[in-house]
Amino acid sequence: MAMTEQTPCFPMSNHTKERVTMTKMTLENFYSNLITQHEERELRQKRLEKVMEEEGLRDEEKKMRRSAHARKETEFLRLKRTRLGLDDFESLKVIGRGAFGEVRLVQKKDTGHVYAMKILRKSDMLEKEQVGHIRAERDILVEADSLWVVKMFYSFQDKLNLYLIMEFLPGGDMMTLLMKKDTLTEEETQFYIAETVLAIDSIHQLGFIHRDIKPDNLLLDSKGHVKLSDFGLCTGLKKAHRTDFYRNLNHSLPSDVNFQNMNSKRKAETWKRNRRQLAFSTVGTPDYIAPEVFLQTGYNKLCDWWSLGVIMYEMLIGYPPFCSETPQETYKKVMNWKETLTFPPEVPISEKAKDLILRFCCDWEQRVGASGVEEIKTNSFFEGVDWEHIRERPAAIPIEIKSIDDTSNFDEFPDSDILKPMGVACNHPETDFKNKDWVFINYTYKRFEGLTARGAMPTFSRPRK
Amino acid sequence: KRKFDPGTQRFELHKRAQASLSSGVDLKATVQLPSGEDLNDWVAVHVVDFFNRINLIYGTICDFCTESTCPVMSGGPKYEYRWQDDTKYKKPTALPAPQYMNLLMDWIEVQINNEDIFPTSVGVPFPKNFLPICKKILCRLFRVFVHVYIHHFDRILLMGAEAHVNTCYKHFYYFVTELNLIDRKELEPLKDTMDNKDHHGHGAWIYEKR
Ligand SMILES: Nc1ncnc2c1ncn2[C@@H]1O[C@H](COP(=O)(O)OP(=O)(O)OP(=O)(O)O)[C@@H](O)[C@H]1O
Repeated sequence: MAMTEQTPCFPMSNHTKERVTMTKMTLENFYSNLITQHEERELRQKRLEKVMEEEGLRDEEKKMRRSAHARKETEFLRLKRTRLGLDDFESLKVIGRGAFGEVRLVQKKDTGHVYAMKILRKSDMLEKEQVGHIRAERDILVEADSLWVVKMFYSFQDKLNLYLIMEFLPGGDMMTLLMKKDTLTEEETQFYIAETVLAIDSIHQLGFIHRDIKPDNLLLDSKGHVKLSDFGLCTGLKKAHRTDFYRNLNHSLPSDVNFQNMNSKRKAETWKRNRRQLAFSTVGTPDYIAPEVFLQTGYNKLCDWWSLGVIMYEMLIGYPPFCSETPQETYKKVMNWKETLTFPPEVPISEKAKDLILRFCCDWEQRVGASGVEEIKTNSFFEGVDWEHIRERPAAIPIEIKSIDDTSNFDEFPDSDILKPMGVACNHPETDFKNKDWVFINYTYKRFEGLTARGAMPTFSRPRK
Repeated sequence: KRKFDPGTQRFELHKRAQASLSSGVDLKATVQLPSGEDLNDWVAVHVVDFFNRINLIYGTICDFCTESTCPVMSGGPKYEYRWQDDTKYKKPTALPAPQYMNLLMDWIEVQINNEDIFPTSVGVPFPKNFLPICKKILCRLFRVFVHVYIHHFDRILLMGAEAHVNTCYKHFYYFVTELNLIDRKELEPLKDTMDNKDHHGHGAWIYEKR
């Protein structure tokens, strides 16, 4: 799992071996980050000079700007020496739940700023033995800085959990919106799908494939515009995303006759009844995953456009095209999409919409976007979309919020004991995963802006004899 | 252990991490105080980071650094280090290496955890004697390198960590010389050994370059 070559064999206790691996990995990461940070610092300096040149500032003004900039950089140096901890935040409310933990609205005690804090239980993640995944993607992700992705500020950990401090998006998520409304209008759908096209394209341009685009991951900011939630954390952890979960299934036609025979209204009701449960389960739902992702033959970024097609279908029809009683049945339907992707006659939608869904949900060789994002943007369903300014214009459904910590766009969640060590520790004796803590070693992350910090120094890992 | 498939993100990361340990990277540029910035903050963040990394490095060999292998804290036959503090060892005292290291690490930890010496809140000034304290910390940290290089480098080689330790030392050396934080005299011990190289033919980077 470590990014180091095999350690040669010589008599060493397992404990020492693990320590060696951790040390090497920590140093590798440190120097890799050091270089990146050095480059970023120089880039910031260059950017400042360029901006000042463009603004035609006088020498004196330039001097002042430069020293203000230097002061900010120095503050960041301080921030690097500090460590935020759970104590620095007041937990206000649980606003979301996922398979590996939950999301809370929190307030930083000293500044009063409000953030969303995602809490991930280490033990749950280790059980899935996929932690390496998390780290690698997280390391790169941290560099992504885009209007279309939820901003991450800071992360820290304690024995039990990982904590991500990110910007709070008061608009809630698309899943909650879709559950509140039966369907969206074509106009609303056009808006959300168009924004998501830009969001997905922005991460493609950074070289990522999301692989797990679903309504739960589309968040809405205070004005109702779309942002992708921090990704790459748990993708691939859920069973439904793993081919082996379906290995002993044959690809015969779906057999949930009950469900097949329901009319679209009943289907939508059943779907919505089960939806929350699906979102919280570690199994997850394969509803939005492109068929080629399940095949061993490989996939590319086009798989994200398939997911978008499924979401578009759900927005207009009221439930996703392959939904069934069980993930296994859904999987079968996805693999048999040529037969199972149909439109219920009782929910009429426009030809343009139907056409675009079918252009998203098809073999990837033929899929829209194969020749570039322009091909999607020029599809006739998007006629009239102002691609350049869509984010600055009013959203299709404006968000009403009364204050920065308004949570009225979120469902109610009972308070949990995730932050109380004892509650969790009983189920997972600490010893079970303590030794593996190095897996998370380079997890903590600090962003150059935003948080001012106070708190204790890091704890050190020198072994005591 | 598993290898990384070329083309995957993990492979890319792996390559990047490896590359940054190789000598191609210009660490020298990274230690210079950026213009207009606060020297104390610059030194503070480096001292804390160095402590953490050197502490980790010593942790990997401490099983092999015992009272019997290293009855006296030293850097080869020519250099012997004695411990002195304000509490138990008021006079410079010769101690076994592991004991010396423990005192050294504990002492540094106390210093950098002290908010009066290493303030972490924005706006709080550093004390007047901040740089002298940092010089002392760095001087002591350098002795850890000396001991590890001269007495335990075979372990480092066996662990395949020589690139890691060399990079860390290189970085440290650039930092303290750039900002003049350690007496040239203190740096002597490693100069000699590195010149001669050890029996594997591995010298530290710094003299390879000459
Ligand atoms: N930054 C945020 N601001 C507001 N709400 C958020 C934020 N991040 C997450 N949420 C809420 O919490 C819910 C769960 O978050 P998220 O989807 O990130 O967790 P998860 O389900 O564990 O992750 P995954 O999508 O990998 O399964 C979201 O659907 C959303 O309602």
